[in-house]
Amino acid sequence: MTNSVKRDWKSVLLSHEMLLLYVLVAEWLFFFFAGTTTNRRGVIVGFGTLDRQFDILRHSCEIGLLALALTPVIITAGIDLSVGSLLGLCAILFGKLWHDGGLSLPLAAFLTLGIGTLAGGLNATLITALRLPPLIVTLGTYSLFRGLAEAITHGAITYTDFPASFLFLGQERWLGLPAQAWLFLLVAVAVWLLMHRTTFGRGFRTIGFSPEGARYAGLPVGRRLALVYMLAGFIAAVAAIIYTARLGQAKADAGTGYELFAITAVVLGGTSIFGGSGSVHGTLLGVAAIAVLKNGLACLPVVMRLNAAEEMSGLLTGALLLLALTGSVLPKMLSTFRAHRHAAQPPSPSPSS
Amino acid sequence: MKRYFRELSVVGALGVGLLGLAIFAPAFFQPQPLLSLVTREAPTLVVACGMAFVIICRQIDISVGSMFSVCSVCAGLLAARGWPLLLVLPAAVALGALLGAVNGLLVAGLRLPSIVVTLATMVTLRQGLNLVRQGEFVNLPDRVQWFGLSQTAGQLVLVAGAVALLVALGLAMRHLAAGRFVYAVGTDAEAARLAGIRPQLVTFLVFGFVGALTGLAAMMNLAQSPQVQPLSGLGLELKVIAAVVVGGVAISGGRGNLWGAFAGLLLLACVAPALTHLHIEAYWEKAIQGAIILLAVVADGVRSRKGGTG
Amino acid sequence: MKSLLPRLGLIATVLFAGLVTASAADSKLVVALLPKSKGNAYFLSCKNGADKAAKELGIELLFDGPTDSNAAKQNEIVENWITLGVDVIAVAAENKEGISTALRKAQKQGIKVITYDADSMPDSRSFFVNQATPQGIGYGLMDEAARLAGGEGEFAMITASLTAANQREWQKYIEARLKEKYPKMKLVAVRPCDDLKDKAQSEATALMSANPNLKLIMAICSPGVPGAAEAVKQAGKTGKVKVVGLGLPNENKRYVHGGVTDSVILWNTEHLGYLTVYAGTALAKGTLKPGAKTFKAGTLGEFQIQGDNILLGTPFIFNRGNIDQFDF
Repeated sequence: MTNSVKRDWKSVLLSHEMLLLYVLVAEWLFFFFAGTTTNRRGVIVGFGTLDRQFDILRHSCEIGLLALALTPVIITAGIDLSVGSLLGLCAILFGKLWHDGGLSLPLAAFLTLGIGTLAGGLNATLITALRLPPLIVTLGTYSLFRGLAEAITHGAITYTDFPASFLFLGQERWLGLPAQAWLFLLVAVAVWLLMHRTTFGRGFRTIGFSPEGARYAGLPVGRRLALVYMLAGFIAAVAAIIYTARLGQAKADAGTGYELFAITAVVLGGTSIFGGSGSVHGTLLGVAAIAVLKNGLACLPVVMRLNAAEEMSGLLTGALLLLALTGSVLPKMLSTFRAHRHAAQPPSPSPSS
Repeated sequence: MKRYFRELSVVGALGVGLLGLAIFAPAFFQPQPLLSLVTREAPTLVVACGMAFVIICRQIDISVGSMFSVCSVCAGLLAARGWPLLLVLPAAVALGALLGAVNGLLVAGLRLPSIVVTLATMVTLRQGLNLVRQGEFVNLPDRVQWFGLSQTAGQLVLVAGAVALLVALGLAMRHLAAGRFVYAVGTDAEAARLAGIRPQLVTFLVFGFVGALTGLAAMMNLAQSPQVQPLSGLGLELKVIAAVVVGGVAISGGRGNLWGAFAGLLLLACVAPALTHLHIEAYWEKAIQGAIILLAVVADGVRSRKGGTG
Repeated sequence: MKSLLPRLGLIATVLFAGLVTASAADSKLVVALLPKSKGNAYFLSCKNGADKAAKELGIELLFDGPTDSNAAKQNEIVENWITLGVDVIAVAAENKEGISTALRKAQKQGIKVITYDADSMPDSRSFFVNQATPQGIGYGLMDEAARLAGGEGEFAMITASLTAANQREWQKYIEARLKEKYPKMKLVAVRPCDDLKDKAQSEATALMSANPNLKLIMAICSPGVPGAAEAVKQAGKTGKVKVVGLGLPNENKRYVHGGVTDSVILWNTEHLGYLTVYAGTALAKGTLKPGAKTFKAGTLGEFQIQGDNILLGTPFIFNRGNIDQFDF
């Protein structure tokens, strides 16, 4: 009995999420000490300041949202490469509706959310109704959405001059935190509740684990999958609005390459790319680990002197991802290796697991 | 005939497109510019062959663009140091094979998902190259371009080489045991194992092979111009994956062939010059490419629902 | 395990103390230089000039930017520098409105802000080191193109991407000049090359075969010029189709000598970086004040100031006669 309790503790402490948390804390402490300095005027500057921490949060919201959007998608063994392009399409449509369409900002935002959901619906239809592989469908829409954004604006038009009341959402603080962080938290909590506290959400895991099994268990697999992709479209539209508010401009190149960061964060967070397992809090930790690494490196004096913050953060993110992947399979490989050895030797008298 | 229906339909689409061009923009078919355009796509074809192998094996490799850049720059630096091309070529291929083998080791050895592994190596290689080269061009000695041949001869050598490679690999896929092993592993790795194939070894070799082909492609690109831009190869992975998929290679593994990939590549490669010839504004390009990809997969989907796949 | 934590704490404290003392002793003025995109040869040569100035002035220079032109990333880097408490931020703005918010925030914290290469909103910086106005570049390119083409005929343009802000700006002025002064010339196509030399080459090849009467290709991004030149060379149209563009001497020497590319237009980018660092440092030290009429920058001598624009001088035309004198 005590033994099993102990084991549970051990498995919790060694779970992927906890390991990632240790990495995150270690990263944070390292940068806190190594990335904080005093400047010429004797003011403490760098990673350890509250301002910097808020900046990190502010900069992570859009990629964080896309990562949240991708978590259910990847848990159902799917993928969505189009979210970054959709962010761009939604951003310029939002700008166009407001600027050229003469709509009020809330109405434009509302319509943009609808368009995002519809675009997600296009992915959903192709994937579920025609049973096409999500990788290829979203590769196509990745090109299509960005292409539409460019075709609509001719690549040239940039929507700017948004009113200050809207820019507040992206640039100011509200109740102590960057304003968009509240929206991010809201979405995060909603997705967490959906995935971890409803039978609905557990159904996604079942589908990812075995779609056939889920079908036999009576789950409407097609409809559930469609929902996941539409949700991703909706969240990408939310990210588009936040992005527009943060930069004060909507342009066809918004969010280029964000899908890769988001996928990296999700996988780093312990969600299996083959589906069936993963968690929203893992994704959040993954986003945080990458954000702290990126921003922390830019505060390190050594890295600054090398003028290499951008490249180093890419390099280390890649390395971290490989490390996390290797780490996630090594225990299993070791145990199979041991099992092979056990099978070769006569069974040992020690109590087995 | 029925067996190659999917590939023939791509060829048909390509034919219709080319016919349209012949009517509305006959200038497209002037031999010299066409040869230049085709030569520019020769390296892409070599990488697309490799990608077809990987996808038939039910894996994916999105690091080819970064590998291409790394091989280009390294080969360029060696050539600029005065290495003879006969040594630079194998060096580039070996470097590519090595990089591919790293992917292969992680995918086959540790059984990690290839999309994530190659995502990680893609970012790592690209940023590593940025860190070292900072975007600086490599200027090559004059003898490198066209391998020291005349321009037309060089172009013909490159195109003929790429096509010969395609034919050799295409035939090997169909008639050699090794080729069939790739199909077997891609269709059902467990069944392949029971049949005496070592799926992990096949997977590893496929990744090493695509790396080697990428190194070769980098070399073919190097021979076309007197300079190497470290950015070259950016976005190559999406281009070849799209070509392979449009050509009817199933992302779920085990189905498709190199001929289809070839047709798919030609179709997509025609889009940009065709727009120029038809005087259509450039901002439609991405949307059109996306539509072609979607159309191809939707056709696949509709056909498989009707139960027409062989 | 238990004894490890305090020990770690001790190590961390020592590390922290060491860093603080180290940085206090190292109390140089810090100038941070933000390019539009880092791997671009254009900005690398700016950095060479900036490095030279930093060495002469005994200041510390930071150089960081997006690896691709990316407005969001630029804001993030500026915000990082604000919390790092640098003394001067010098920015080549990818997007005017986008970057200005971050720059105003920097000014509020007492950081001196100047822009170079591409300006932000005037209220978000003290000075703009103006290498050549977009109008100057656009008009200069168009005039040079018209001179080469003899004032008539078809020409095509190759840009970096359809969305890049500076490219749009230049294109706008090129088209304005075309309309106003050269009615006999016709812009037949604008094609993007994604800042890839290889793609520029393919595009130029297609442009020439699609437009048999094409007289000139104008490339307004630096990888586009050698790409277009290589295409012209391979098409055997050297001299028949002229190439002109914005680019760096080193990437184009080969083609200029071969007679493929007629002229490459650029200001001296090393001087641009050098002048920017000098101006930023002077601003932080208080020797350069708003309203000044001239400014003396080290070995380069005096520069004119017009309003709040420090003028580098007119763009330079590199051609066969002078290109070998430059190495950047």
